[in-house]
Amino acid sequence: MTLKSAKIGNIYTVKSIDLDMAAMRRLEALGLTGGTNIKILNRNNGGSVILMVRGSRLALGSKIADAIQMKEVS
Amino acid sequence: MKNEIQVGFVGNPNCGKTTLFNAYTGANLKVANWPGVTVEKKEGAFKYHDNRFKLVDLPGIYSLTSYTMEERLSREYILTSNVDVIVNVVDASSLERNLYLTLQLIELGKPVIMALNMMDIVEERGMEIDLHRLPEMLGIPVIPVSARKRTGLDILMHTVAHHKDKCIDHILEHHHANIADKFKGHKHEHHKDYPIVYSDEIEDKIDDLSELLINAYHEIYNVRWHAIKLLEMDKEILAKYPLYIHNIVQSSYEGEIINQKYDFIEEVIEEVLVNKSSKVALTDKADRILTHRFFGLPIFLLIMGFVFFFTFTIGDFIKSGLVVFLGAFSEFVLYLLQSVHAGTFITSLIVDGIIAGVGGILTFLPNIFILFLALAYLEDSGYMARVAYIMDNIMGKLGLSGRAFIPMLLGFGCTVPAIMASRSLENMKDRRRTILITPFMSCSARLPIYILFSQMFFGHMAMLVAYSMYLIGIIVAITVAFVMKDRSGKDHGNALLIELPEYKTPNQYTILIYVWEKVKDYLTKAGTTIFAASVIIWFILNFGPSGMVTDMSLSYGAIIGKALSPALAPAGLGMWQIVLALISGIAAKEVVVSSFSVLFQIGNITSPAGMTSLTQVLGQYGFGALNAYALMVFSLLYIPCAATIGVIQREMRSFKWTVITIAFQLGVAMLMATLVYQIGSLFIK
Repeated sequence: MTLKSAKIGNIYTVKSIDLDMAAMRRLEALGLTGGTNIKILNRNNGGSVILMVRGSRLALGSKIADAIQMKEVS
Repeated sequence: MKNEIQVGFVGNPNCGKTTLFNAYTGANLKVANWPGVTVEKKEGAFKYHDNRFKLVDLPGIYSLTSYTMEERLSREYILTSNVDVIVNVVDASSLERNLYLTLQLIELGKPVIMALNMMDIVEERGMEIDLHRLPEMLGIPVIPVSARKRTGLDILMHTVAHHKDKCIDHILEHHHANIADKFKGHKHEHHKDYPIVYSDEIEDKIDDLSELLINAYHEIYNVRWHAIKLLEMDKEILAKYPLYIHNIVQSSYEGEIINQKYDFIEEVIEEVLVNKSSKVALTDKADRILTHRFFGLPIFLLIMGFVFFFTFTIGDFIKSGLVVFLGAFSEFVLYLLQSVHAGTFITSLIVDGIIAGVGGILTFLPNIFILFLALAYLEDSGYMARVAYIMDNIMGKLGLSGRAFIPMLLGFGCTVPAIMASRSLENMKDRRRTILITPFMSCSARLPIYILFSQMFFGHMAMLVAYSMYLIGIIVAITVAFVMKDRSGKDHGNALLIELPEYKTPNQYTILIYVWEKVKDYLTKAGTTIFAASVIIWFILNFGPSGMVTDMSLSYGAIIGKALSPALAPAGLGMWQIVLALISGIAAKEVVVSSFSVLFQIGNITSPAGMTSLTQVLGQYGFGALNAYALMVFSLLYIPCAATIGVIQREMRSFKWTVITIAFQLGVAMLMATLVYQIGSLFIK
């Protein structure tokens, strides 16, 4: 599943990011590396998501959210 | 001058870096642009004990790659300038993410000191940071500071003075506490030399590359860092030190290196962050309402409504006091000039030209002050980033990211920094479109025009009329963005990427400095551009082909205005005086107002008496409320001021695009003002 279909309040693990190199490196610099846990804080109708990663909050647009593959942490 | 120490301030955006910087330097800043580009660095100097400190505030960055301009420039600065010490400002409440930059800074090899900011937020959350263990693991001094409460400042500079020649001076202690198994049999025992040691595979390659580098480039400073960058296949370093490395590096190890840095950061966090309580932060509670999917937008609109309400009502209240003062001042100068028997030429130049022009503009200072104060509050509180998220949906429909809304919002203050803020958009196409529409957001320089003309012609509806200008600006901007939307479908979806900082009470000191800078700009503009424009306007109105004229309609100004006035006649603006005022407004939009006072020889144009007489004079030419509205619409949309044209040219980096932008905006202004006037004429009269 991708970040786009994530549920508010749930915690997920990042599996992979499928974006161009520059965008991917930016996300990694912000702490979104493979295996990181993220918590979904909010999302809107357009598919933009607010999440908590490594103690900081990020807002991501639908294009980026859709490119982040992840799995639910049970 | 032996003891000048140059200190570079580096940190993530929103870590309180600028607040800390301001705490040292106050408003004594020199804002310097990087040569060739418009990324700003700020410089300030002060003395402490026997040392002179020169502080340099670098742009907020998350890492030191070569992917963005800010990061490249910061890296370049640290590597090549003679900076003595790097102060890495770290937001303690988001230590984990901030440490990533810290590790990169340490690897760069210059002396680094960590200024651990926002410890109060950490304590509020019931957490603690082990200030003994943290420097042990990183090998650099860690100084807790509070930029807002201004504590720890002396200690930090003391450390800077003592630390300027040392890189890693702490004894590094690395226990591999919980993950001993993972690194068992680590053959590279570098733990006493570097805080971060990579996996054997990477360390082997670093060793190989280091050897190559040293053999080829003896003078190289900090070989390890360069080797790591080669391993990451960093474009800039590859170009700077061309080497045959394909037998060592087949593909970039960048992803692997980032991951291992974060692995190490996790170890650090594990050891230094005590009592990781998960108390719901106040920020999350506030965000539940402020970024709510339904309420977020109405709340934002309400906030902006308040901002403009205060700008107009309170601003006007203070302004009326200034107007009285200006009237008295003007009469006093007139009396003074008459008592020394100054000639009519000089008297007219000073009273009708300079005081009328510049003085009139100065009375708008309270409105401008309040508007910038409000914008500073929105920015410093952390709300601005939320606006990008709230607007993301709407902006997405226009084919832009929510981030493009921040330049637009800043455009309400001043178009110049707003256009510079568009730099945060990565895509050049998006950036061009944002630059194209940002000038339509009504900047504070246009405020005097609205205030004057809406009060003159619309009485108690004045505020509503002025509001409508902001709305028209937004609607035009949105329409243009929508029409120009990239419909090729390739760039489907939007790429918003923004950090939402912790909410905080805005720091009074930071805000004061920010607003003071704006007020200073405004005063400088009044003293230079507006002063010069007023003098020029006075000259071309008082001189004609036949020399000094008493009848303005024979002046050079009238000749120019009359030649161009037919073009604006369909918009109800076909008077030569108005054409001239609008042309002069290209120098700065406020000049439109000052030109009116020079053109119609009205001394105190913003006083009730001044407005009444201007209304009467204009009335004689058949200029009524509808004409005034068309004038405001035209002023809102036409060619931006000279400073804006300059910044558009620098940011677009294309002469063609700059010309297109100007011509386009002039066209839109003509079209809209004509529509307003022609359609309005059907109903009124």
